[in-house]
Amino acid sequence: MKKNFLEKFMEIIFFISASASIISVVLICVFMFAGGIPAIKEIGLFDFLLGKKWSPSNVPPSFGILPMILGSIYVTFGAILIGLPIGVLTAVFLSKFCPRKIYRYLKPAVNLMAGIPSIVYGFFGMVVLVPFISNVFGGNGNSILTASILLGIMILPTIIGLSESAIRSVPKSYYEGAIALGASHETAVMFAVLPAAKSGIFASIVLGIGRAIGETMAVVMVAGNQARMPNGILRGIRTLTANIVMEMGYAADLHREALIATGMILFIFILFINGVFSILKRRMN
Amino acid sequence: MKKLLTVVLSLVLVASLLAGCGTDNNSTGNNSSFNLNNEIVVVSREEGSGTRGAFVELTGVEAKDDNGNTVDRTYEEAIVYNGTNQVLTAVAGNEYAIGYISTGSLNNTVRPLKIDGVEPTTENIKNGSYKIARPFNIATKGDVSEITQDFIDFIMSKEGQEIVSDSFIAVDDNPSPYAGSKPSGKVIVAGSTSVTPVMEKLREAYLEINPNAEIEIHSTGSSAGMQAAITGTADIGMASRDLKDSEKAELDYLAIAIDGIAVINNPTNTIDDLALEQVTKIFTGEIIKWSDIK
Repeated sequence: MKKNFLEKFMEIIFFISASASIISVVLICVFMFAGGIPAIKEIGLFDFLLGKKWSPSNVPPSFGILPMILGSIYVTFGAILIGLPIGVLTAVFLSKFCPRKIYRYLKPAVNLMAGIPSIVYGFFGMVVLVPFISNVFGGNGNSILTASILLGIMILPTIIGLSESAIRSVPKSYYEGAIALGASHETAVMFAVLPAAKSGIFASIVLGIGRAIGETMAVVMVAGNQARMPNGILRGIRTLTANIVMEMGYAADLHREALIATGMILFIFILFINGVFSILKRRMN
Repeated sequence: MKKLLTVVLSLVLVASLLAGCGTDNNSTGNNSSFNLNNEIVVVSREEGSGTRGAFVELTGVEAKDDNGNTVDRTYEEAIVYNGTNQVLTAVAGNEYAIGYISTGSLNNTVRPLKIDGVEPTTENIKNGSYKIARPFNIATKGDVSEITQDFIDFIMSKEGQEIVSDSFIAVDDNPSPYAGSKPSGKVIVAGSTSVTPVMEKLREAYLEINPNAEIEIHSTGSSAGMQAAITGTADIGMASRDLKDSEKAELDYLAIAIDGIAVINNPTNTIDDLALEQVTKIFTGEIIKWSDIK
């Protein structure tokens, strides 16, 4: 009897814990949509999504977030372009070439990268990368390129971690088969094992995109944050996240609601990315 | 054999990376020769910031267009930061940058520019010869309660003005010490978000002297604060700007502090003096290069 009660009781505890996270996700969803939709209605869906001008304190104000949507996409694309080759090659090295002794230090170092707060990355970008880009490529240094490089570094742990485990989970027979056919170690790894880990690597890209598109503090500090259409890789840009974090502090009325609506658009982006990720993961298994 | 090769290769890689860093450092060193022909890097604050609002208004960057709409004409390519410290770091780190911050936040990593030949010193801001400054006003309507008057007396007293001058410029040089009757009661203060921090410090100090009082502060924005004072929902309204004529007609007002806005550039820049008109032209993108300033 007593045991039964305890069992039931614990069951409820587990259930509550499990619901807590789901409830918060649902609440966030409700909040975002309840806060965002009235603003979009007032501004007009097309004026909001496709408007090229963001100037909330003008009379009358304009609330177009197309520059920020494009900004987020460009910067994320740049980050993948930089982070993907470095990340995947690192994962190949870690799983197939790395001597045990070095691995003991390399792996924790990569994990540490994931733990560095983004504001620290941002500060590094502001005092090191910005002057560097400005000196080498010209311009003022606050640019799409700078933000892409910084984000590319920031998504490395995600890409390396997932790709490495994908490569490690490829059955040994692929590698052995290639060796048996006379391939060298390098050829076997690059042309037999790596292609077999394809879907895992795709999953790492998707998760990297998710991380890059949601990154805020680091990007604010290096991207220049101009709310106008992107016009060059060495010119600045404002992302969706930057738009929210920069103006939320003082925003009131429709301006504030428009920022919540910006968050909603970002949320839809993330939902989409996570959807793609779970499809890929299912295929992987 | 293979292992040896790997070790040598990685050593070469590391060495070349280090060498790369070395040359970079040198090139930064060489760049210190300031070249006026470079473009001005304009640094601004985000939309909605009180500092930006005051700056664009005082310099005429904000103007009315032909249809009578108010337009903030800040240069599209201006880098936007959402904090004074970030503006400071950006201007200190870029020789060609120009920005603006409250004079209370100035430090020696940046140079405050003279405007029309006038330096943004406390004295110049107080006597009005430095043009880019705004008063922090408080406003009341009609006869005020005893406790409200006592709190205002405290703000204008020696103790109150000392608190004000920690972050802004006090309006009165030689105020008399506080000698109030410490009445009990409640005061509601509402208005500007820029004045709120200093008002909170004033409240803290006042409550130490007069524990019988209760002071409530609402950070709602200058216009809302004036409106609250007019309708009587607040005893004291706060504004980080001059009162509009319609507000002046209804309210008694008093400046409690002055906040100057310094236009700053990098100390390596050879230009240290701008006309107000040139500041406006730089921040609206009409002047692009430092060499265009005469």
